[in-house]
Amino acid sequence: MPRKVNYGLDYDDDYYDDDYDDYAYDDVDAEDYGGPDTKQETIKPGLWQCSICTYDNDESMTFCDICGVVRRPLVNTGTSNSNKTVEDVTKSPGASKLARSLFQSLQQQIAKETVLFPKPDDGFLTDGSNFYKLDNVRGEFHEIHKDFSTQSHPHLNIDPFKFNVPSPDDVVYTGLRSSKTGLKDKATNSNSQLSSSTREKNELSVQSNAESSDNLSSLMQKSRQDSSTESKLSKKVAIDLQTSGKTSNSLPESLSKDKDNNINKINSSKNGTIDIQSSKEKSGSLSTRSKVKESDNISSSSIKDGKPESISSSFSNMVVDVRFGNSDNTNAKGTHSRVSYKPEKWMLPEQAEDTLTQLNLAIVGHVDSGKSTLSGRLLHLLGRISQKEMHKYEKEAKLQGKGSFAYAWALDESSEERERGITMTVAVAYFDTMRYHVVVLDSPGHKDFVPNMISGATQADAAILVIDASLGSFEAGMDGSKGQTREHAQLIRSFGVDRVIVAVNKMDAVAYSQDRFDFIRQQLGVFLHFCGFKDSSLSWIPMSAMENQNLVASPSDARLKNWYGGPYLLDAIDSLQPPTREFSKPLLMPICDVIKSTTLGQVSASGKLEAGALRSGSKVLVMPSAVVGTVRSLERDSNACTVARAGDNVAVTLQGVDGNHVMAGDVLCHPDFPVAVAKHLELKVLVLDGASPILVGTQLEFHIHHAKEPGRVSRILSVLDPKTGKVTKKSPRCLSAKQSAVIEVILNETVCVVEFSSCKALGRVSLRSMGRTIAVGVVTRIIEEQG
Amino acid sequence: MKIVRRDLVPNGPGSVKMVAVDSDDLWFAYNLIAPGDSVMAVTVRKVLREAANGGREAERVKLKLEIKVEELSDYDKEGSILRVRGKNILENEYVKIGAFHTLELELQRPFVLRKDVWDSLALEVLQQASDPGASADLAVVLMQEGLAHILLVGRSMTVTRSRIETSIPRKHGPAIAGYEKALDKFFQNVLQAFLKHIDFNVVRCAVIASPGFTKDQFHRHLFLEAERRQLRPIIENKSRIILVHTSSGYKHSLKEVLDAPNVMSLIKDTKAAQEVRVMKDFYDMLSNDPSRACYGMKHVEVANERLAVQMLLITDELFRNSDIATRKKYVNLVNSVKDSGGSVHVFSSMHVSGEQLAQISGIAAILRFPLPDLEDIEM
Repeated sequence: MPRKVNYGLDYDDDYYDDDYDDYAYDDVDAEDYGGPDTKQETIKPGLWQCSICTYDNDESMTFCDICGVVRRPLVNTGTSNSNKTVEDVTKSPGASKLARSLFQSLQQQIAKETVLFPKPDDGFLTDGSNFYKLDNVRGEFHEIHKDFSTQSHPHLNIDPFKFNVPSPDDVVYTGLRSSKTGLKDKATNSNSQLSSSTREKNELSVQSNAESSDNLSSLMQKSRQDSSTESKLSKKVAIDLQTSGKTSNSLPESLSKDKDNNINKINSSKNGTIDIQSSKEKSGSLSTRSKVKESDNISSSSIKDGKPESISSSFSNMVVDVRFGNSDNTNAKGTHSRVSYKPEKWMLPEQAEDTLTQLNLAIVGHVDSGKSTLSGRLLHLLGRISQKEMHKYEKEAKLQGKGSFAYAWALDESSEERERGITMTVAVAYFDTMRYHVVVLDSPGHKDFVPNMISGATQADAAILVIDASLGSFEAGMDGSKGQTREHAQLIRSFGVDRVIVAVNKMDAVAYSQDRFDFIRQQLGVFLHFCGFKDSSLSWIPMSAMENQNLVASPSDARLKNWYGGPYLLDAIDSLQPPTREFSKPLLMPICDVIKSTTLGQVSASGKLEAGALRSGSKVLVMPSAVVGTVRSLERDSNACTVARAGDNVAVTLQGVDGNHVMAGDVLCHPDFPVAVAKHLELKVLVLDGASPILVGTQLEFHIHHAKEPGRVSRILSVLDPKTGKVTKKSPRCLSAKQSAVIEVILNETVCVVEFSSCKALGRVSLRSMGRTIAVGVVTRIIEEQG
Repeated sequence: MKIVRRDLVPNGPGSVKMVAVDSDDLWFAYNLIAPGDSVMAVTVRKVLREAANGGREAERVKLKLEIKVEELSDYDKEGSILRVRGKNILENEYVKIGAFHTLELELQRPFVLRKDVWDSLALEVLQQASDPGASADLAVVLMQEGLAHILLVGRSMTVTRSRIETSIPRKHGPAIAGYEKALDKFFQNVLQAFLKHIDFNVVRCAVIASPGFTKDQFHRHLFLEAERRQLRPIIENKSRIILVHTSSGYKHSLKEVLDAPNVMSLIKDTKAAQEVRVMKDFYDMLSNDPSRACYGMKHVEVANERLAVQMLLITDELFRNSDIATRKKYVNLVNSVKDSGGSVHVFSSMHVSGEQLAQISGIAAILRFPLPDLEDIEM
C-alpha cells in the first residue's frame, strides 16, 4: 500500500510533463509499454522461479543456480525465454511489427480494464500482492530444505496454484525494467505512461484504506506462524538491495557469509552511488544514500526486535525495494550521459561574461497588422536605427507614395517588399532590453508566405501576436479560411511557444477605445485558450506603433492612459520567463540561410543554435551532405563574436565546405554525433480546423525546422482521443478536422530529423496543403528504409 | 489517333488499323494493347542470306509481321516509342511462325490491332483516341522562390520537362544585393528552360503559376528579356501567357493550375480538366458527407452491389493488369455502374489527378445515398 503512493509521487516529480496535455501526445507511451508487458506475461505462468530472475536479467543464470539442482531443466527453459524476451524488446520493430505491437497495446488495455472490474473489492488486489510476496519466500525455503529433507511432498500441492497468479505490481515493475533495458531512447515517454498507471493505482489505494487494517492483521497472523520465514524475507531483501545496486556478482558467496559481510556489500553500494557527478544525479545520490541507511537500520532491527516491528520492517523493505528500482534508473541515465557526450568548459555560459539572456522573439499576425512597422519603431526608439538612416527611409518611402511604411523599411529591405508594402521573408534584427538580448524575427503575414513564417517561428522562444484593432481588420484576420491570425497562433503553439504578448495595434484608428480592446481580447482570448495557451502566459498590450503609444514607455495619450494602467510593450518583453537551453548536448544548428561569397570563396550559414556551442576552430558536420568543415568566424548582428551557445542566432563562416553542399534546411552538428537523415517518418499529429480530409496518399508539404519537402501520407495507423491520448480507432479511412492521429509520411527527399523525445526543436512538424496548414505534430519515430 | 479501318464486333473479336499522330496516341495504344492480342506492323529485321559465292551475309529486310503479344508493352515516354514483344504468327520467307520479335510502334506509322474481345473499356479508349476535339496541350511553369518545374500537360500525360532548383539567400542587411542577384539568376535559368521546352506552335497557352509574387516577378523578367533580346516567340504570344496563383511550386500543385478559372475555360473539354473536377467532387463529398464516398476495391464492389455508385473513379493502370481475370473484374464493374445509371471516369495515371487516385488504391466512388456501414468492412 504505502509503496504505491511513493512510487507514483516519485515519477510525478521526475518525469511527467504537464505542458502538452492539450495535444494528447501520450499514446505512443502505451504502445511502447504494451509489447514487453505482454511478452512478460506469457513467461510467468509455468516458470515461477523466473519471476525472481526477471527482476535482474543479468543475474538470471547465477540466481537460478541457487534455486536448486533438480530444477535445472526448467530453469534453462526459463532463461531461454527470458533472453528471447529481451531480444524482442531490443529489436527496432518494422512497420508490420508496429501494427502488431499497436494491436497488442489495444488488447493490453482491454485486458487491464477487464481484470479490474470483476474484483469484488480493491482490498483483495492489495491482499493478493502481499500474499504473493510471502508465498514466494516460502517456496524458496522449500527449495533449500529439499536438499536435506525427504519429507517435502506436502508443499508441492500449494506452490503451483499460488504462483500462477502474477501480482499486478510485479507486472508493472517488470515492465518498467524491461522498458528501460530495451527502449532507452523512449524512457521518458514510458515513465510518463507508468506514472499514469501508478496514479490510477493510487486512487485504488485511497479507496481501499478500510481494507488495509484487515490486511495487516492477516499478515500478522502469517508472521506468527512462520518466524523463520520472516528471517528469510529479511535476507532476501538484503540480497535484492545488493543486486539492484549492481555492485555484487557473487550471490552464492554472500549467502554463505554472515551479517557483517552483507553490511559491507551495502557500503559498497553507497560508494558506487557517490561516483555520480552531475547535479541532477547528485540529488538522486543523496536520496539513494539515505535510503541505503534506512535499509541498513531496518535489516538490523529485523533481527533484534520483536514481531510487531518485524511486520513494520516488512512493509518498509518493500518500499525500499521499489525505490531502488528508481535509483537504478538514475544510475543508468548517469552512465549513458557520461559516455555519450561531455561538454567542454567553454561551452557552458559564465555568469560574469554577460548578464543579459538571449531571447528569440517572433513577430507574427495577419497581413498588414503593423508587424514590420512595430519592429522598426522599436529599433528606432531603442537606438538601433540612427536618425540619419531614419530620415533616409522616410524620404524614400515618401517618393514611392508609401510614407506610412517608413518604419517598416528598416526590415523590408528588398525592392519587391517595399514596392508592395508586404513582408515576404523573415527579417532578423537585434536590440537589448533590461534583461534580454532580443533577436527579433519579423515574420510575413501574407498567407502565401506562411512557409517563410514557419521558418522564423520555428526559432522562437516567445512571440508577439500583432492584432490590427481597426474595424473590419481584426475580423478579417480572424476569418477561418483567409485570415492568418488563427493559423499563426496555432503554428507558434505547435512550435512550443507558450509565452505570447498580444499586441493590439493601431488603437489610434479606434480612438483608443476600451470597449474595442475588451471585445478583441474576449474574442481572441477564447480562441487562444482553445489552442492550448494558458491565460497566465498571455499579455494583452494596447498600443499604436505609428503614434508611439505604449511601446517603450507608458502611454501619453489621455484616451489610453485613462483606462489602461498595465505594462507597456518593453515591460512585457522583460517580464517573459527566460527559456531553458541545452548547452550540455551535442551541437545542433538548423540552417535558415546560406550566403556564398564568390570573391572570398567561402560560405556563411545562419541560424539559431538549438543545442551545444560553437567557436572559431570548431569542427562541424553539415547534414545531409555529410561534409566536415571548420568554423572560421562567428558573427552576431554583423559583429564578430568568439563563442556561440544554444539560443544564440549567429552567422557561421565555414572553411572547407563548398557552397553547393549547404542549403537552407540543412543542419550543422557535432562530427561525432550526426543528426539522422530520413524520408519515412511516423508522426503524431493534430488535424486543424477547416482542413480537407487527410487520406492515405494525400499529398502535402512537410515542414520541419527550416526544411520543407513535398511528401504524402503513406499510412494512417490510428485515431487518438484528444483528451486521454488513447487509441479510439485503428486504421481509419480518413482524418477530419480536430482529430489526433498517428500517421506515416514518405517524403520525396530526405530531411534532417530528430525524434521529438530527443530534441523538441527538430522534432516538431507542420503539414500544409492547398495553401493552408492542415496539421501540426511531432516526430515519434524514424522508420529505417530497407535497402 | 487516326483510325484508318475499323472491323470489329462490340464485346467480340475484331481488328482496327490506326496511325499514331502524337505522343498521346502512343499512350492510348499502350493502354489498348494487352497480352493475347495480336499486332501487325511493318518492321525491320536482320536476316542471313545466301550469297552467290557461297558465303553468308547479314541483311536488314523490311517486313510486315504480325505477332501475338506475350507481355505488357514497354512505353518510352521520352522517345515516343512503344515496344511490343511477342511471337510471329504470319508466315513469310524470312521469319518462321513462333519466332520472337519486338515491334517498335512509332509516330506516323500505321499498325493493326486485333483482339478476341473488344470490351467496353477498349472501345472507349478507341473513341477517346480518335476524338480530335479533346486535344489541348498546356505548358506550365510551376514555381516558387528558388524552385521551378516546366511541365507539359497533354490529353493523357503530364510530363516534367525541366526542374530548376537553387538556393536563394534571405535579405540580410548588407547582403540584400545577394538576394536580388540570386533571384535574377534563378529567373534567367527558368527563362532558358522556358525557351527550350515550350513551343507555341504546339501548346495552346502557357501558364506561369506560383504562390506569392514570384510569378509576377518572373513574368516581368520574361517580357523585359524578350524585348531586350528580341525573343520573337514570346513577343508574338504575349496574350497566350497567363498568370495563376498556386499554393506551392511543387508538382502536386498542378491540380490548382488546372482548377483555376482562367485556365479551366481554355481546357474545359479536356480529360485532364475533367479529372481535376471529378477528383475535387470526390474530396468535397468525403469532407462534407463521408458516408457517401468510398475508395478501395472491396468497398466499391459492395457499394455497387447495392446499386449505390453514382460516379466511379478508376485509373487506367488497373486495366493494364496482365491478369485477364482481374481486368475482366474491373470491366464488369465499370459496365455494372453504367448499367445502373452511374457515370465512369477513367483517370490517366500520368496526370496528377491519376497519381493521386492511385495513392488511394486506384478506385473510388461517389455514392447516391449514404452507406455508413461500409466503414466497418475490412478493406
